[in-house]
Amino acid sequence: MTTNATVPLKYDSNTDIACRTIDKEERSLLRKVIDRIADRCRSRSLFILHYCTGCGAIELPPTITSRFDAERLGIQPMVTPRQADILLITGYLSVKTLKRVILSYEQMQGPKYVIGMGSCTINGGMYWNSYATIKRLEEYMPVDIYIAGCMPRPEAIQQGFLQLMDHIDNGRANVWEDYYRHYDFYLGNQQHLFGSNWHTPTDVIAEAQHYQFFSENTVGEHTALLAKFASEYVTRPIPSKILQREEMVE
Amino acid sequence: MKEQLPEVLESVFREIPHLVFEQQGPRRLRVNLRADALPALLELLKGRAGYLHLSAISCVDWPALDEFELVYHLWSYEVKTLVSAHIFISKNPGHYVSVYDIYTPAAFFERDIHEMFGVYFEGAPSMEPFILTEWEGPPPMLKSFSTTKYVEETFQWENYSPEWLKEIEAKGGGIVNSDT
Repeated sequence: MTTNATVPLKYDSNTDIACRTIDKEERSLLRKVIDRIADRCRSRSLFILHYCTGCGAIELPPTITSRFDAERLGIQPMVTPRQADILLITGYLSVKTLKRVILSYEQMQGPKYVIGMGSCTINGGMYWNSYATIKRLEEYMPVDIYIAGCMPRPEAIQQGFLQLMDHIDNGRANVWEDYYRHYDFYLGNQQHLFGSNWHTPTDVIAEAQHYQFFSENTVGEHTALLAKFASEYVTRPIPSKILQREEMVE
Repeated sequence: MKEQLPEVLESVFREIPHLVFEQQGPRRLRVNLRADALPALLELLKGRAGYLHLSAISCVDWPALDEFELVYHLWSYEVKTLVSAHIFISKNPGHYVSVYDIYTPAAFFERDIHEMFGVYFEGAPSMEPFILTEWEGPPPMLKSFSTTKYVEETFQWENYSPEWLKEIEAKGGGIVNSDT
């Protein structure tokens, strides 16, 4: 199990920043009201990161531009994963591109939503017997909504957006928490394809503790392999001896 | 349909022994020749007839013959006739000589054929994986490689049975199975 020292393990959630004890009832009520307002605001302003490797990418220009104009729903494209809310997978993913999708997904900040667009993300679609493409996206990352079709029309995509907005508004779009709660399951499926030394730069277990989603399924036999192969990926800190020598040369 | 073969092509073909050509269309020529004579043919076509464009190299796996068929598609902007040169090479060891020194774009085609069929081209600048950089299995375009079997071993796509499908199946509908 890898833990990050910057995140305190024993974080007492009953105290505020000034270490005063919080009245639980008052907080839960306040939290409910704030969450309700926040959810409503969040559902009206969504940035999508579109991963356009599949043929579904051709349906996005009419969806986003003036013909169907997704921006009137508050949805617009975003160029970086760190500022995006929705990860839109437009069609098939090969094993090679799935790696990149997982790297992008883990960089996104919570709450984050995944939309699988087209039949290929559901069960492989027309690529069901291809050696190169993955079949079910939900094995590798939690998916909020699937838009079936080969390819779905812009109307169907907008219907999916509206449904996702409705889910967020009602506080039901919580699937992203599953990635932290069941990280061992998702990592196991990823390792099945990419090999047991598969590693991402994001410390998901530390994030799970930070978000307080750490559960018994977060770590397991698959996450144990992370620590085993960590040395291949993590850059070691420069030994102090080398630093001292550099200073002497100067 | 039948047209006179351009003189320049006729003079080139006369120099290559055991060469058989067939007119397949007004601007298509199929040429069969021995594998060791192909570089000479390409040199002559490029030097005399202005065949500057190697459009593609395709590879066919013939399981019954135990041979690979390599097809070199060449185009000339002067003669305006597509020449497809067909050669057969043995699968064991599956080596052939690279034509990179005659046509530079051949590097990409040969690299692609190497990773898809396992044919090794001697003298090619790079035989590294090109698209399938993260693939460790056998060359996937070989007829002996069964993608369906590989998918069944690797992915769990058949276990997909969502709630909405169960509801339809309870009513007597569902996915139509052609076997039964």
